[in-house]
Parts: sequence; structure tokens; C-alpha cells
Amino acid sequence: MTDKNNKIPFNEDNYTHNINRNNERKLDRRGFMKTLVGAAGVFAVSSLPWGAVAAKELIGLGDKKYPKQKITDVTAIPVGDAVDFHFPGEHDSAILIRLSENKYVAYQNACTHLRCPVFWQKEEGDLLCPCHHGKFDVETGAPTAGPPRRPLPEIYVKVENGAVYAVGVKRYEA
Amino acid sequence: MKRSYLPVALLLAVLMLNIIVTQYMVHQYFYQNYVNTIVAGVMNVVLFPLAFIIYKKGVNVND
Repeated sequence: MTDKNNKIPFNEDNYTHNINRNNERKLDRRGFMKTLVGAAGVFAVSSLPWGAVAAKELIGLGDKKYPKQKITDVTAIPVGDAVDFHFPGEHDSAILIRLSENKYVAYQNACTHLRCPVFWQKEEGDLLCPCHHGKFDVETGAPTAGPPRRPLPEIYVKVENGAVYAVGVKRYEA
Repeated sequence: MKRSYLPVALLLAVLMLNIIVTQYMVHQYFYQNYVNTIVAGVMNVVLFPLAFIIYKKGVNVND
């Protein structure tokens, strides 16, 4: 009987001899097809947010609406002159420039470098930030000289009944 | 039992379409063609049940 207890049952050095894996790691045809269907499901789910944001853009939820605001009367601003105003908030200073008889442009006049006010240089015909001599194109608001790298935010204007109104702010595009 | 690899090929084709449509969708979004984005998204969603049907048919044939 001493012999019975003093015996190593299996001539193996592992303890998993009774686990039958049964080819569970083998990728057969059916498993492969299941994977493909799952991948198609992942694609379907991942395209949902894109559709959602596209629908949001189409409906126009991304555009902010501000009440239109009178800037000045047409008679009060000669061609080539500028007038300061505030839009859309009372702390968002902005500048309106009359380029020709019927062409008005308006920008938020905080310089995109360090937010100094931007001034209209009538003689040079460009917008100048005096802090670091940043310059902006008056037609588009794009930076043309100096440290600023981003355009001035444009304000949409509309002429109605002999007065100029600010109606909206152009959406920022990086 | 003779296996058919036709469903496998069809599923691979569906997956390829998924990839193409997804890239088209993303690009159209950044090009601001939002209607095309939604069309591509719907197509991606429709491809999933199609893939599932192909799988079901392919399994039943051989069982």
C-alpha cells in the first residue's frame, strides 16, 4: 500500500491534462463569416454619428442667430470711412467700412494676435493693428502682414431703408 | 459535405463596400456635401443586414 500513495499519476509536467480544447482557437469558415458580419455591424454603427452631424448641419442648428442691429445711417458714413459699433454683444467691438457706394464690410475689430483694436487706414487702404503692426485685407479680413495668422471674424451686413444693419457673424473655419 | 465559399466572397465584397462608403462619407462631410454624407451613412447601415442575410444563407446551405 505504500507504493500506491507514493506514485506520480501522470508522466507529464503540466496540470491541464484534463482540459479538452476541442479546436476552440481554430478559425473556421463560419467563424470567419461571423467576424465579417460583426465588422459590417461596427461600420454601420460608426456611421450613425456622421449622419447625425450632417443632418444637424442641414437643418442649420450650427448657425447662431443674433437679432439684427442697426449700425448707422447710410447718410452718416461717407464712402471710404469707417464707424465703430458693437455686435453681437455689447463687449464685442466691431468696425464697419464703406468701401464704395453700395459695398460695406464689417469685422469684429479685435486683432487675432492679442486682441488689440484694429483701425481703418483710409490712406493705405488696409486695417492696421497698432500694437504689433498687424495688417488685414479690408476685402476679406485675411491677415496680410505682422503677427496675426487668422482672419478677422466677418460680420454680415445688410442695407435696408437707408440704414446699415448687422445681421450675423461668419462662422469660424479653421 | 461540400462547402461553399461564395458567401465568404460576398461578405468580403460587403466589407470592401463598407470601407469605400465610410471613406466617401467622411470626405463628403468635410467637403460640406451633407446630403451625400447622409446617403453614404444610410448605405453603411443597410449593408449590415445585407451581410447578416448573406451569413444566414451561407450557414443554412451547409447544415
